Amino acid sequence: MKRTAWLGGIAAALIAFAAPAKADTVRVTVSFYSAATGPYFEKMAAEFSKANPGHEIKIEVVNWNALLQKLQTDISGNANSDISIIGTRWLLDFVRDDLIEPLDGYMNPAFRERFIGTFLKPAEIKGKVYGLPIAASARGLYYNKAMLTAAGFPNGPKTWDELVAAAEKIKAAGGNGFGVQGKGTETDVYWYYSLWSHGGDVVSPDGKAAFNSPAGVKTLSLYKSIVDRGLSQPGVTDYDRTDLQNLFKQGRIGMVITAPFLINQIAKEVPTLEYGIAPVPAGTNSSTYAVTDSVVLFKNSKVKATAWKFLDYIFTGPPRIEFTKAEGFLPTTKAEAADPYFTGNERLQTFVNLLPNAHFAPTITGWEDTAKAVTNAAQSVYLGQATPEAALKKAEEEANKALNK
Amino acid sequence: MIAPSLLLAAFVMCYPFYEIVKLSMHEVSRFGMLRAFTGTANFASVLADATFQASLWRTLIWTFFVVGGTLVISIPAAVVLNLDFAGRGIARAIVMLPWSVSLSMASIVWLWSFNADYGMVNAILQSLGLISRGVPWMARPETAFPIEIAVGVIVSIPFTTTILLGGLSSIPGDIYEAARIDGAGAFQQFRALTLPLLRSFINIAVILNVIHVFNSFPIIWIMTQGGPNEGTHILITYLYDLAFRLGRPGPAAAISLIMLAIVFVFTFVYLRMQARERT
Repeated sequence: MKRTAWLGGIAAALIAFAAPAKADTVRVTVSFYSAATGPYFEKMAAEFSKANPGHEIKIEVVNWNALLQKLQTDISGNANSDISIIGTRWLLDFVRDDLIEPLDGYMNPAFRERFIGTFLKPAEIKGKVYGLPIAASARGLYYNKAMLTAAGFPNGPKTWDELVAAAEKIKAAGGNGFGVQGKGTETDVYWYYSLWSHGGDVVSPDGKAAFNSPAGVKTLSLYKSIVDRGLSQPGVTDYDRTDLQNLFKQGRIGMVITAPFLINQIAKEVPTLEYGIAPVPAGTNSSTYAVTDSVVLFKNSKVKATAWKFLDYIFTGPPRIEFTKAEGFLPTTKAEAADPYFTGNERLQTFVNLLPNAHFAPTITGWEDTAKAVTNAAQSVYLGQATPEAALKKAEEEANKALNK
Repeated sequence: MIAPSLLLAAFVMCYPFYEIVKLSMHEVSRFGMLRAFTGTANFASVLADATFQASLWRTLIWTFFVVGGTLVISIPAAVVLNLDFAGRGIARAIVMLPWSVSLSMASIVWLWSFNADYGMVNAILQSLGLISRGVPWMARPETAFPIEIAVGVIVSIPFTTTILLGGLSSIPGDIYEAARIDGAGAFQQFRALTLPLLRSFINIAVILNVIHVFNSFPIIWIMTQGGPNEGTHILITYLYDLAFRLGRPGPAAAISLIMLAIVFVFTFVYLRMQARERT
């Protein structure tokens, strides 16, 4: 630590000698969404430096799974970057420690107008906006056209009953019906899809665990029967989201619920795969999960003005369109939404149309603990270690220990 | 004369220890900010935590089987590699090779090997006709944890064999000659000469391996992250989960102090036991 600080000091001194004008170096931490992420931000940095001579943007790409830990250690050591991408659901922890600069003072009405209204909301805490929505996604049901046509649902199942019926047909033909995620990030969310579409909820408005409900027991039992009857892939607790997506790309599974960026992956890796995208099946209603990642400005940054200028730049039309197109996310600004690439893209529109009924992860303390407790509950049920009732009761107790503390 | 370096060493060792003790006695935010002094509350909550208890027990199983398995394989391996035979250099190199691969990389390779859909292990079993469809090895703790132990053994063999080979080369050859003249067979020679003379080296191997394996993070973290349903957590992976996933450095610091105490007590007791046996 000491040594890097020293070296940094020497480097800063050298730079100060070399460049007579005031030159800011803005450090930006971005998450690795795909192979395109790093090159995209490098390009933006270069363009920004060209338009603003003397200022430099330094990009650091971090794997998503390691991002929070990296920020945690960087911040503890006071060595964090000026700007970072974070999961919007982590925001509260940062705000509670007063680490992030509220952006309201920087945003004029015209800047706010650039965004699609719903997307500024998730990063708002107590009336202040702490992050800008850099990436947004929702979830839909991908189905393999050939397998579902053979099963009698050429346009995908509309309800959970139809999904089970389709999976039974696919199983009878020797295939895997509905992919169930049993490992890794969003194992909990994979169950929330059916919980929400049966009228259940994860956390009640007063901030208590709400998933241990009749809808909760019913939907977890539904998943359990799908697993037990072999209507899913075998060994579900060995499959994280990427594994499920791989099965789908290889045509080895009929249906999978996941995010819009799978469209880009399929187009690149298996362009011949025939597939469709349908809303998450309905129970009593239709519902989905929407996620945003935010880009935030740290309070201890010494180059806030330049950092904001860079943020302002990447949230103008062309840079946004280029980013969202390359990563396969959903538009968060009006300029993107109006671009022909998005208006003419039927598959992406399916996701966009789901947004009005979408649940966002709430910004409350204890969300990660709840996710972990529910993930454990789901895993214990899939493994046959506990009944849905017992597992949910245990998870409820654990979640309530952490929620709103 | 040695005071400055002694001071530096003391600082390097004491400062992190002081920080961990401080963290363990406070309520700490995810980003390391101290909130309230809580005394022993973190320790109490950790000790009452069912996952902690299960992980502690699993850590003991993990350490025992990895270190035990390593010794059971390494002692004969070292004895064989100490014999003079054609190609001994190559054989030694092969045993040492896994050492040159980083632990993380070795874990990733084994994880792939046990993949349910494209793993080498399932492919072999299938081609032998032993199974009809791929076994999801990592899906259940009952299969995943023994596999992790086996990987732990494999990566610990080179180091242990090296220590034991060093020990074997220090045993003079003529005592075996004397034993042969007295009519001792190969097994008797091994029991009466090799093992006792190797004892201090085995002790070193046990202590170093226990300390290392007890704190070994990459294998389990890479292969299962302690899951499914917390079924493969050992203390170090649970500690990491608490600190970095749930953002609770306080209880995590408490666990690390408990781990330190366990290793310390083990080393002390083991050395005392060995000393007593010898007298």
